[in-house]
Amino acid sequence: MAWAKETSAVSTDFNRIFYPESIAVVGVSADNPVSFGSLIFKALVSMQCESRLYPVNPKGGTFGDFDVYKSVEEIPDEIDFAIVSVAAPLVPETIEACRLKGAAGVEIISAGFKETGEPEGIALEEEIKKIARKGIRVIGPNCFGIYCPESGLTMAPGPDFSRESGPVAFLAQSGGMSVDFAQMGKWMGIRFSKIISFGNGADLRETELLEYLGNDPETEVIALYIEGIDNGRKFFTTLKDVAARKPVIVYKGGLSEAGNRAVTSHTASMGGSRIIWNSLLRQCNAIQVHGLQEMAQASLAFSLLPPREYKGITVVGGGGALGVSACDAAESFNLEIPTLKDDIVEEILSVLPRPGSSATNPIDSANPFVAPGAIKSTLISAARDPRVELQILTQLLYHFKSIATLSGAPSLRHVIPYKKMADAVKEAVDITDKPVIIVLPNLKQELESMEIEEVTRETRALFVERGIPVLDSLNDALRAISHVASYYKKR
Amino acid sequence: MNIIEDALKRGAATLSEYESKLFLAGFGIPVTREKIVTAENDAVAVAEEIGYPVVLKGSGDELSHKTELGIIALDLRDEKDVRAAYAKITSHKDVPVKEVLVQQMIKGERELVVGLTRDAQFGPCVMFGLGGIFTEILEDVAFRVAPLTREDAMDMMDSIRGKKILDAVRRKPPVDREVLADMLIAIGEIGLTYDRVKEIDINPLKILDGKPIAVDALVVLDKG
Repeated sequence: MAWAKETSAVSTDFNRIFYPESIAVVGVSADNPVSFGSLIFKALVSMQCESRLYPVNPKGGTFGDFDVYKSVEEIPDEIDFAIVSVAAPLVPETIEACRLKGAAGVEIISAGFKETGEPEGIALEEEIKKIARKGIRVIGPNCFGIYCPESGLTMAPGPDFSRESGPVAFLAQSGGMSVDFAQMGKWMGIRFSKIISFGNGADLRETELLEYLGNDPETEVIALYIEGIDNGRKFFTTLKDVAARKPVIVYKGGLSEAGNRAVTSHTASMGGSRIIWNSLLRQCNAIQVHGLQEMAQASLAFSLLPPREYKGITVVGGGGALGVSACDAAESFNLEIPTLKDDIVEEILSVLPRPGSSATNPIDSANPFVAPGAIKSTLISAARDPRVELQILTQLLYHFKSIATLSGAPSLRHVIPYKKMADAVKEAVDITDKPVIIVLPNLKQELESMEIEEVTRETRALFVERGIPVLDSLNDALRAISHVASYYKKR
Repeated sequence: MNIIEDALKRGAATLSEYESKLFLAGFGIPVTREKIVTAENDAVAVAEEIGYPVVLKGSGDELSHKTELGIIALDLRDEKDVRAAYAKITSHKDVPVKEVLVQQMIKGERELVVGLTRDAQFGPCVMFGLGGIFTEILEDVAFRVAPLTREDAMDMMDSIRGKKILDAVRRKPPVDREVLADMLIAIGEIGLTYDRVKEIDINPLKILDGKPIAVDALVVLDKG
């Protein structure tokens, strides 16, 4: 990879880091099954990681079915990558041993470095940097490391992450947020190429990893959580370059105003960190989000929606007020809900329950029990209008509860045709080539109605399996669409 | 550039308004027609050369709050006005004023601000927004990291809430966005080229027949 050489003194073989054939896990302890080293090793095993795994502990012995090696040198194999979870003072000698063994990279889970603010921790981190410059790339310390579904590499608290790969990559200092995002992705339908938590970022950090992900053929959408950055100018040019090719979603934490900075001019006094960051992200055409939820929703939208400058949409659902609020909300997200032409309106009305429904757009299906076939016909008819580029279908499942009770059905599952709904929507998307987003709120969350929550999750899973994005509210859906639309408009 | 070096040599922390505009004009930034004088008769002669109405301002390195000090006189329409204003400014009881700036009066109603700051992380950043007293009140400004592309400059104008101020309003022509873009790009270039220029304020930038023109300017120096 010639491009990697430009940013690092050491040529970096990222393939050996993300897709290692063999991994040493240093700090696995048979005596302490809940130590980080033990947990990460067990997580790798439970994820059925593709690599050959070598636990290391000076005491030797066995760990589960594995022989434990007393040192990295002792491992009778070449090592591509190492995961290190030993006491901070032992970290430098451990990663030096990994370097001498020929590993391309190492992730350091251990804490007790620069983040402590103590001279000893700072000095240890400097030692890590020195060893890195000699020829091994370091992720961490004080991080949760790498999750890569394709290779089965996972994070310490990640024994149950998905092994299904996808287009989204995530990069963060924070290990906690990396794990949260991976878990959310699993049920929301976000599939990851890589998640990298780099902690203190002693060696590899935001800019170089962003550049790598920008060139990574497995990655189509990049999400980024940033607190501090190392080299502002380089970060700016890299972000601008990568965002011109792939959507980069940025959640900047810790935006604060400059406060009482000693400046002379008005311009300098106005230039606080918040406004500079907001301006810079717009300048780079990065997608700025303000929380984990919004970041996840945007990632989902970018990964599942065709890349278009969405403008016209339909909103389909039961209830007139829903439609009015949709129009108000759409306008604030720079989207339009065009009035459909008379012949299309007539066609839709012929399949929806009468009286009570309205089909000018928003399309009010009058009651929430519309048969899947009618929903499918409605979506297909509305898509005939060339101004319609995307459709939003709201499904309120709790109304089925009263039907179940009235009809004496044994459970809610017997009355909700959710499998047929998912199929009907998927068929409509395939026929029209216009995406549909499902809005699936659960507005009935009292303890007694746990069944509705269960059915809502099952329904979500059916849509997600078919590659149809599901969000909790109309507002979330409109915001996610507007992120996609404005990115492709400016690119 | 000599203006910067000369100012640094004499230990100045900022360029005077006159020097600031001279410096900016060197990069094609349109500024008011103006001259420094040290005698009342010269003030009248320059006023007549520029054309009435004119503005008189006390000038000097450290005179940056001219309105508050009361050493500024606006909308002077004839010789009598100019003589009276000159006498008043040069006899200020607290501030010794040796030089007076005679300046073209711009009656633009629209006031914008353009500036340069140095961000600790991203280096030189250009600012654009609503000017005059509204800069602080509305905080309706946008920044771009230098260097600015023409697209950046155009998008910057669209990213303030009050962007309609650039359109045709109240029978006034729209602001020439191309000229404004040239200015924003030039400010970014100055930031990248001149390490000793720490900050720049052009405030207000007024609009005369659709053309932006720097009415007041301040260049803050990095004394090293």
